[in-house]
Order: sequence, then structure tokens, then C-alpha cells
Amino acid sequence: MIFSNLYEELFYKALKIRLVEERIIELYPSDKIQSPVHLSIGQEAVAVGICQSLKPTDLLFGTYRSHAFYLAKGGNLREFFAELYGKVTGCCQGKAGSMHLTAPEVGFMGSSAVVASTIPHAIGAALAAEHLKKEQTIVTVFGDGATEEGVYHECLNFVNLHRLPVIFICENNGLAVHSKLEARQSYKIMEQARTYGMRATQITDGYDFMKVNEVISTIIEEVNKTRAPHFVEIHTYRYREHVGPGEDFNAGYRSNQDLEAWQAKDPLILNPELVAKYSPAIFQEISEAVDFAEASPWPGKEHLLSDVI
Amino acid sequence: MSVSAEPKLKSQIISYREALFQTMRDALSQHSHTIIFGQGVDDHKGTFGSTVGLAEEFGPERVFDTPLMEEGMMGIAIGAALNGLYPIQTHIRSDFGLLAMNQIINLAAKYKYMFGGRFEIPLLVRMVVGRSWGQGAQHSQSLQSLFAHIPGLTVIMPASSQSILECYPYLISQHRGPVISLEHRLMYDLQFGVEAASEVNESPLTSRKVRTGKDITIVATSIMVLEALRAAEHLTRVSDIDCEIIDLNCISHPDENLIVESVAKTGKLLVADTSWRPYGVSAEVCRIVCERAPFNLKAPVVTLGMQPAPCPTAKSLEDIYYPNLQTLTDAIATLVTGKTAHGIGLPDEQSMADVYKRFKGPF
Repeated sequence: MIFSNLYEELFYKALKIRLVEERIIELYPSDKIQSPVHLSIGQEAVAVGICQSLKPTDLLFGTYRSHAFYLAKGGNLREFFAELYGKVTGCCQGKAGSMHLTAPEVGFMGSSAVVASTIPHAIGAALAAEHLKKEQTIVTVFGDGATEEGVYHECLNFVNLHRLPVIFICENNGLAVHSKLEARQSYKIMEQARTYGMRATQITDGYDFMKVNEVISTIIEEVNKTRAPHFVEIHTYRYREHVGPGEDFNAGYRSNQDLEAWQAKDPLILNPELVAKYSPAIFQEISEAVDFAEASPWPGKEHLLSDVI
Repeated sequence: MSVSAEPKLKSQIISYREALFQTMRDALSQHSHTIIFGQGVDDHKGTFGSTVGLAEEFGPERVFDTPLMEEGMMGIAIGAALNGLYPIQTHIRSDFGLLAMNQIINLAAKYKYMFGGRFEIPLLVRMVVGRSWGQGAQHSQSLQSLFAHIPGLTVIMPASSQSILECYPYLISQHRGPVISLEHRLMYDLQFGVEAASEVNESPLTSRKVRTGKDITIVATSIMVLEALRAAEHLTRVSDIDCEIIDLNCISHPDENLIVESVAKTGKLLVADTSWRPYGVSAEVCRIVCERAPFNLKAPVVTLGMQPAPCPTAKSLEDIYYPNLQTLTDAIATLVTGKTAHGIGLPDEQSMADVYKRFKGPF
């Protein structure tokens, strides 16, 4: 698809993620997707803004909430739906489901359901890239909850000690399942990261894909030059429940006003003309991908014990 | 000290430590994508001598010390393997490997399968099992069954220099998955006869028969293979008991046929492991025989391992915590004769007594 400007391109990509996830919500009651989904709705701009500046050979390590990053990095939509359906044509032959999406052909590395566990993988990949003189940008994406894990601090220490060119992206949506930051953290995320001696940047407008892209592009250039790590905290907001297709504002742990405040700045809501312009083509692509998933075969007995060792 | 181990024809004598050093050095010199890291790999002691001088020879980019971050370093090994390196990670005690369990079990073991075969993570984690001279509860654990329980991991316990010289180069040049090797600290100083590697290109990641006999099958791991060989030699001298000994070697993927066929011949099975018996190697070897050919057993199986408690430091307790040459010899004689009052003379010395007495810590 040809776009007249960067804004429309990023808008299209963010919209596609949202419409894909809204389709998942529609499909979920049918029980055809038997996999816990951690939806990215509300956080699309982060993924789109970052991945726009990455090449397919650049590596990005994500989390169990990675639908947005999988798609933004260029992962195949048919293989995405087939994977959610548990079909053998999925990106991981139906062995991964929603939480372990991967698309190595475009540099989207294996995602994990254990919080913070892919952060060291990015550092190891950067170590290898330096050693083998590969020209790659390496990005690790994690949530605010991950910053509470021991391995996160181990990694910040190591990456600064060895001065490896890794871009750390903290998607701060303020929630770990239902627990708020103030119940979990004695520190400020970005300030704390700086104590390891690394450069750090904060983006509070996580809904603004143009802003995210602009800042990240600059940081990638800088990191490629300095070969040193950079930490980026991006504030964002999760519109849906932690896991599952629903909204849970009636549960009392957060207020509808928070949601409304973010939605009031959400380009995908504020610009119905562009939504109308691009939705039909996206719906068509989604429809074909879902049909592909529905028509695809299940993995057979021959797959049960393949690829164990 | 020299431990006699079959086969008899040897072309060279080399210590366990020297075998480790040789394979580590060869890995670096023959494979430019190999790196070695772990606590103290580049210090003057160099992981009990197995990596000493390698940082100077191959550079600090390829051989480097790490912060005390076991989980993080295991994850870094995974990431490095994903992007083209062959990482070798060391833990000077296997107990410290427990801090890396999340990365080992949740990530390394699953990385290939969980992503439908899209990735491979070839890497080696060397962990050292301690014993004797007051190593205590947290410097002595032998965790092979814990790791071998998890699909996706390959777990080996080299019981000789030969095993190291065959397994490590094979892993580094040909094996494409994560491997945990549990080395035994007390074997580092032992000399072993070794043969040149055979020309047949078979995977060494399996079990091996180290003594042929007709009266009893002893399946052993790590240093218990040496104990079994010593017990067998003693029994040859004082009785007509003829032991067959299988070195399990690859704990996660033992040669089941070798075990079952041996038991079919001898009718008697004794398992001697370096760890606890419940839910462990002993239980697993018994499972294999019970599922495949229980009718070949002419007597109940016998298993030997550590006492079901954490390891004590006091020598008086440690001496009775582990099976020793006497208890092993007695167990073999009892099983073969079918009598506890078998009348066969037991060896005077305690288990590997001269080795253990000679071993001076602190590590």
C-alpha cells in the first residue's frame, strides 16, 4: 500500500492492529481461539512507532502482550490467526498460541509468558552481533512490572558494564495484572535505570505514534553511533482487561475516567475519516487471514514430538 | 592417583581436568563463534584449571568473568546462541545453577519446541558437583534428575576423561540444542586412560558399557561409575562375582536397550547414583526395566544414593551420608548371592578413601 505521508502510514498500521484485535474479541466467544490473549488495544502506537524505524534484520524481543509488535514488525497476518487457532499453518505450527508469537523472518524473536524473561536474550543477541560484526539494532520490550524482576536489574548492570548497543523499551501502562505502580515500586523507572549509567528518555504521549517514531529514530541513530545502550520509558494505557477480550472497569481497580482521558487523545478515535478510508482494505485482509486459519489443518500426531531437542 | 577403568588398551593418560582444559581450548581455537563465560573463568584458578590462561590466549571478548547474575547470564547465553554464537557457561557449583532455573526450564528447554522449530539454541552449561571436605548442603547437590526431567534439555555426567573428550567436541561442533553437563569436582585430579576417538561418527550422547560381566548389572553415574569399577575389581579378587557396569553418561537420554539387554543377561540390577534416590536416576532406571522387561529380573532391584537429607558438613556424618566402597560392595554381593550373610570379604578402605582424604578444600 502506498501512503501519502508517514502519518497515514503509521495510522494505517496502528489501525490494522486494533481491527485485528477487535476481530479476536468477536471471535473469542466461538471458542475457536483457545489461547489466553493479552490484547494490545490502546498500546498500538508504541509498537508502530518503534518498528517503523527497524529493518527486518533488526531484532526485537517482546512479551506475552505482543500482538501489536508481531504485526508492526511485519509478521504475517495469516500465520498470526492460524497460530491463535492452533493450526499447523501458524507461525509456530500451533505450538505457541498468542503468548509465544514469533516471526524470525522479520526479526520478531520468540516471546515469553514469563515476565522479564526475554530481556537477557536481547543482551545476548547484542553480544553476538558485536562479536560477529552484524549491523543490527537490538530492541527489548517489556512492561513496567518487569522492572521489579531481579533479572531486569542483572541485565541493566551487564549491558552497561559491557556497554552493549541494546535499546530498552519499557511500556509503562501502570498495571501489573490489576496492581498499580504505587503498590509495587519504591522507585521511578527511568530515574532508577539512569543509576546504572545509561542514557534514558521518557515519552509520556504513548498514544502518539509520530512522537514515538521521531524519538526512537533519533535514539537508534545515536545507539548505532555510540554502541551504548539507551533506555526509553513510554507511558501508555491498556484499554482491555489484563488477559481476555473484555473490559473490566466495573472491577474497581481503575476508573473509567482514566480510559476516557487516554481515548480523548487516541488518533484512532479522533480521526474517523482515516478510519473510514483504510478500514475496508484491512477488513478484507483480516477476513482472508481468518478464512485461512479456519480452513487450515490441525497439527497432527507427527508434530507432537517434533522439535523437542 | 590412577583409577583403572576398562578397556585395557590405552594410548594416553590424561586427567579429567586436562581433558576439560583441552576441550575448552579446542573449542575456542577451532570454532571462532565459541565464547566461554562464568564466575571466575578468567582468574588465576580458571574454573579449577579448566579455563586457566584462555582469556589471555583468546582475548577478553571470548573468555570473560561475569557479575553474579545466574539467571541473566543464562538468558544472555540463549540470546547469544540465537544470534550465532556458541556459548559455554560455567557454574563452579551446580547449586548456583538453581538461580538460573527460570531461563533453563522456562526458556532454554522450550525455545525450539514452543516456537515450532523456528529457533535452535546450541549451548553448553558446565556445572560442577562438589563433595567432601565440608562442602555442606549448598555446595554438594547433584541435580541431574531435576534437569533431566524437563523435555528439551540434554543432560550429561562425564565419568571419565574419555567421555569429556568425546562429548564436548561433539556438542560444540554438531549438537544444536542446550546441554547441561554435570562435572564432578572430585574427578578433576584423577588420571584416566583414553583412547583416540573412534572414526565412527556416532553420537556420544548415550550410555556406555564400561565393564562386561555376567552376574549383575550395575548402572552408575559420574563418580559412582569409578566406585562400581573398584567394587567389581575387588569382587573379582575375593569371589567369583562378575559385574557388568554401565556408565549412564547421558542422563536425559540413556541407552535403554543397553540396560534392558544387560539385565536380560544378568537378571540382577543395582543402580548407583550420586544423588537422592526418590524420583531420581535410580527411579528412572527402574522404570525403564519395569516397563520394558520386568520378567528378566530374578531379584528385587537395589538402589544406592545419598541419604534422604541435605548434605551435612561434619565428617562423621558425611562419611555415612554417601554410599561408599564397602556399602556398594556389600550391596552387590548381597544381591548376587541372595544372602545378607554372603561371607564375601569387603574392602577395608572407605569409598575412594585415598582420594577423599587427599582432597583439600576449600573448593
